[in-house]
Amino acid sequence: MTNLDTKEALDIRAIFPLVWRCWPYYRPQLKHILTYIGCTILIGALFFSFWFVADDLIQNKIGVGEPLQPLQAQLLMLDKSYLTGDDESKRLSDSQRKQVRAKVVILTLTFVFVVFIGSSPLNYYQVWIFQRVNQKLRVEMLSKAEHLSLKHHSFSRTGDAMYRIYQDSATITNVLQWLVTMPLRVMGVIIIGCITLIFFSAWFALPIFFSIILSGYVMRKLLPVIRQKSRQSREYNSDLTSRIQENLAAVRVIKASGAEDIMISRFKKESQNALDAAFEMRFYNSVLLLLSILIGMGSFIIAEYFMATWAITEKATSLGGIVALVGYATWNIGAYQTASRQGEQTCLQAWELSHIFSVAQDLTVGLKRAFHLLDLEPEVTEPSQPKIFPVSIQSIQFESVYFNYQKDNPVLAGIDLSATVGSVTAIVGGTGSGKSTLMSLLLRLYDPDHGNILVNGINLKEMSRETIKSNVAIALQQNVLFALSISDNIRYGRDDLSEKDVHNAAKIACADGFIADMPEGFSTELGERGGKLSTGQRQRLSIARAVLRDTPILILDEPTASLDAETEQRVMKNLAIWGRDRIVFIITHRLSTIRSADQIAFLDKGKIVEAGTHNQLMAQLGPYSDFVTAEVGNTPTETNYE
Amino acid sequence: MNNSKVYDDRVDTDSEIDLRQVLTLISRSFGFVKGVKGLFICKLLMALVSILPALAVPWILKIIVDQVIMQQPFNTAEVPFPPFMMPFINMIHDLSPPEIMFSVTALFLIALILFGLRAPAAEQAQEIAQAKGFDAATQSEQALSSGGSNTSGLWGLLELSLSIRMTQRLGNALRARLMGRLTHLEMTTLDEQRIGDSIYRVMYDAPLMPEIIYRIAINPLLLIITAALSIYLLQFSYGEVTPELVWLAASLIPLTLLVTAPFSALARRIHQKNRASGATTTNRMEESLDNIAAVQALGGLDKESVRFEKSSEESFWRHRLTVALDLILIVIRTCATWIVMAIGFILITDDVIDGTLSLGDYAVLSGMMFMLSENAAAIGLYWIELQKNVAAVRRVFFFIDYTTETDGEYRSIKPIKKRIHLKDVSYSYPDGRVALKQVNLELTLDNLVAVVGPTGAGKTTLAYLLPGFIRPSEGEIFFDDQKFSQLNTKDIRQQVTYVFQEHMLLSSSIRENLLLSNPDATVNEMIEACRISGAMEFIDLLPDGIDTPVGKGGDTLSVGQKQRLSIARGLLRGTPVVVLDEPTAALDPKTERKMMAALKESSKSRLMVIIAHRLSTIREADQIVFLEEGRIVEVGEHDALMAKPNGRYRRFVELQAVQ
Repeated sequence: MTNLDTKEALDIRAIFPLVWRCWPYYRPQLKHILTYIGCTILIGALFFSFWFVADDLIQNKIGVGEPLQPLQAQLLMLDKSYLTGDDESKRLSDSQRKQVRAKVVILTLTFVFVVFIGSSPLNYYQVWIFQRVNQKLRVEMLSKAEHLSLKHHSFSRTGDAMYRIYQDSATITNVLQWLVTMPLRVMGVIIIGCITLIFFSAWFALPIFFSIILSGYVMRKLLPVIRQKSRQSREYNSDLTSRIQENLAAVRVIKASGAEDIMISRFKKESQNALDAAFEMRFYNSVLLLLSILIGMGSFIIAEYFMATWAITEKATSLGGIVALVGYATWNIGAYQTASRQGEQTCLQAWELSHIFSVAQDLTVGLKRAFHLLDLEPEVTEPSQPKIFPVSIQSIQFESVYFNYQKDNPVLAGIDLSATVGSVTAIVGGTGSGKSTLMSLLLRLYDPDHGNILVNGINLKEMSRETIKSNVAIALQQNVLFALSISDNIRYGRDDLSEKDVHNAAKIACADGFIADMPEGFSTELGERGGKLSTGQRQRLSIARAVLRDTPILILDEPTASLDAETEQRVMKNLAIWGRDRIVFIITHRLSTIRSADQIAFLDKGKIVEAGTHNQLMAQLGPYSDFVTAEVGNTPTETNYE
Repeated sequence: MNNSKVYDDRVDTDSEIDLRQVLTLISRSFGFVKGVKGLFICKLLMALVSILPALAVPWILKIIVDQVIMQQPFNTAEVPFPPFMMPFINMIHDLSPPEIMFSVTALFLIALILFGLRAPAAEQAQEIAQAKGFDAATQSEQALSSGGSNTSGLWGLLELSLSIRMTQRLGNALRARLMGRLTHLEMTTLDEQRIGDSIYRVMYDAPLMPEIIYRIAINPLLLIITAALSIYLLQFSYGEVTPELVWLAASLIPLTLLVTAPFSALARRIHQKNRASGATTTNRMEESLDNIAAVQALGGLDKESVRFEKSSEESFWRHRLTVALDLILIVIRTCATWIVMAIGFILITDDVIDGTLSLGDYAVLSGMMFMLSENAAAIGLYWIELQKNVAAVRRVFFFIDYTTETDGEYRSIKPIKKRIHLKDVSYSYPDGRVALKQVNLELTLDNLVAVVGPTGAGKTTLAYLLPGFIRPSEGEIFFDDQKFSQLNTKDIRQQVTYVFQEHMLLSSSIRENLLLSNPDATVNEMIEACRISGAMEFIDLLPDGIDTPVGKGGDTLSVGQKQRLSIARGLLRGTPVVVLDEPTAALDPKTERKMMAALKESSKSRLMVIIAHRLSTIREADQIVFLEEGRIVEVGEHDALMAKPNGRYRRFVELQAVQ
């Protein structure tokens, strides 16, 4: 029946460490949880004892006309004539029975209204508590996911993280209920039920014992299957979320390639997989529940046969006359009703128990997936005693820096480079030569595999990522814009800066012109991924964003690729003035931009093959001059261009 | 087609749905039942049978009390048993009390195995089969695979499986349909639509549709039949003795409907807002995860966390509101039914004290009353709970109804052979900005055309027109002599390929990414396309060649590599017209030159339109179209345009070349 991967099979003991891990999320709510549990137990006990008494009153006293017990009379505020007195065979008169009934109705209604209405806010309270638990986990997970290194993100799908944060994390709300309070409650009901039943007759221990053993066996057989199906279901759903997310993020390419139908058929297939897994999980679940119902209820029905026959013979109950409040010394109709209800309740707990166990399977799978994300170690680790970033920047040095994304595929293979304050360094090289990666290291998005990056002689690894980010600004090649207003996009991550700063930065990036033409200027809302803007406009917003950060180090990754020559010139001129007391790196292909740099580093296959000024490098007739010739060589008619 | 539909994708501010809309949404949901006709009929029949066993239980319990424990003889004269009980009664009529009890026990055991009599119904069990959270999203996922039965036992298992399958097929049909419509949305709409919101609609809104079918068609029908049967049975057995009680029982359902119905409009509003805020949360998460590089590089981590925390908090709060509403309704309803039950109790016990009714009758009557009050509660709740589904389904149908590219009547296309002609074409965005004014242009199918101009001149807009991403606001485009406005967008894309500047790759192998555009392509065709785009250079170096997987959005490749791969993917389609947006922007001059030579070569048999800024790229073109502020200012070859002393293009080139 099962082709279970044994390594993945977690036995029931694995639940306890998971529950323990949930503790920090429950801890802050402890006060509320205890209040909630206390109230629930109180109300449960009230209801239980109320029905215990009411059953007897309704069946034996009102129904048959037996006299009241002394305590009952006190509770109902009735006089001595309702009591047994000396006459054992005394029966209540019709008017007395009606009197008792009137009292019972009033008592019941009052009880129900007060207790029921009083307890209903408890449900809301419970939702509120669990939401707070979930909120804490969710926020922590997203923030963890965001802090993971980009290396991790390059290889994992957005949809998967989303599914973990959203769906898997929600299982934490069930931990208390399904792994702690419900089992406790069920055990409580079983124990109370057993005690009551055994008071009625010791024989009842037998069917209870029998059904517990048998359902234990069934669970052992079925639970591993259910767990496997539950994991499958979650994984498939997570794949599906990824699929939708990817399809929508790449929808323009799909359209352009006319691939809508292919994508839909893939979507349907994955959706069907997810549904099949969900179905199978539920099916096995139902089989388990069915079997435990058959076992539990079956033994109860047989026990009930004995209760009824004993009631016929008015056999003495084991209860005897101990309890004054109820009149179940012998098997009578009231005793039958009470015992039968208790028995039914107790046997149903077998069903409840297997239910709890099957939900526990899903819980453990979900929790494991959620905690997996929290357990991922960021590859970029924070120093325990971070150094502060130098107040006035002097130099940046790359010392034989190595880096790769995948083994055997080095991206940077020994980079040595230094830049001093007030200089503009152009990073030049063929596509895929590692230019963007080199700059990501400066941001500590990754750490080098070997070698060091030093700022004023201090290793970057000794500074916290937070410090570095507030001192290094970058305008990315892929101009990511968020669904915020233009002004918030420029300000992104720096809400402390004023609108005036934003306007100034936009001016330096030559973005103020087109922003002014937008319907609502700086407060214009951008669409998904900034879809409303042209590439050139997005590029300038990116530059403005980097400039606004006013950091000592600025990195521009292909800042001007999509700008026309006129705009490019203006932007570069503004940046040159702005960058006088900073260190600026520019990754670019455009000769006009390269030529204005103080230093050119020419990258090839992860190494810097040449470095120097334009004129120096042209004189060397090395790879750089080949590169320049390639760019302009095919335009001999325009020597003025070079 | 109504294009003026205004919506706010962030929060569905319009949370008012009137009754007519509700009914329309319900009837549209029913349209999907056609796809599951067989299952639907089976489910209905099985469900009808499944209500019967429960009706017998009170009568059997009555026998235990009256005939077994109280040891009274059968008294069918005063309180007759219902007809379906008679065969069993006749069987046990002359037995002694212990023997009767034995038969009853046997009957119970058989009914337990078949129908799970007296056990919790399978529906109840299914409600909580998988752990779910305390917000709308996690609960919806359960809804997609929900099902149920009023019975348990073997019958219940079968009915349950059947109905889960039906729910899944209904939900899946709707979400696949929605997904299809979403990918077919017009480009201008997609620019505005947030991905997280779309995910929410597909994954969490669509699954709520099947419940509408159950809550409108199946469940109320069953409840009403059950209620009618119970009232009939009451009338049959006790109509003579206590007619008041029958009336009282019959009043339970109208009473609960009366006290809960006024809340339905409120419920709808609360649920609509709940779902909208859930969508916002999803969106925040998606945005920050998908743009993680930017978030990290710009130091936006804290900002993103706070943004997510706030919207997550908001969505939890909205969900709590729905819980509060449910609680209020439960309290009101319970109070009402308890009062009715108390009156019933007095009526019954009156007769018990008089001796007209036995204690067994008390068991039957109170059981019946209890069942009826549960049913009444359920019916009252259906309408309220339905509001949640309606709110969700409205969000789904919103996009199914939204104008997509495929709407309208179009004729099919003949392959473009000679030329594309733009006649007086203008385009303005939905928000009124004018992007193109009165463009006239003729492009022939053996040319490499460069579209040039300062940023914001309308280059991309012009290029978007060719594959039909947008359609002209005014004017007409002719493919040979076929009018663009009469052609199906899908057909147009068979003729025109567009390669974007952002290089969106899917996280699968290079081969899969290439096959996306042309599933029938052979390996040779793929290699040829990669050769032209220059992608072969780096693919050859990869460990697994074209079967190498690329990471999320192709993140493991450099920007230039992604660009070349995207171009290869575009070329692989082999369409007569190819539009390339800045194909060389991220390339070094050497690679660029190679690519341009290859593109020029392959443009001999087709029309290649390139948007470009780099002179080295532009110069290679057979025809240069120079745009400024939405107008075509100059058209011609590089040398011809450079020859004009005061030409706009010449000035543009000089600015770029001279420091």
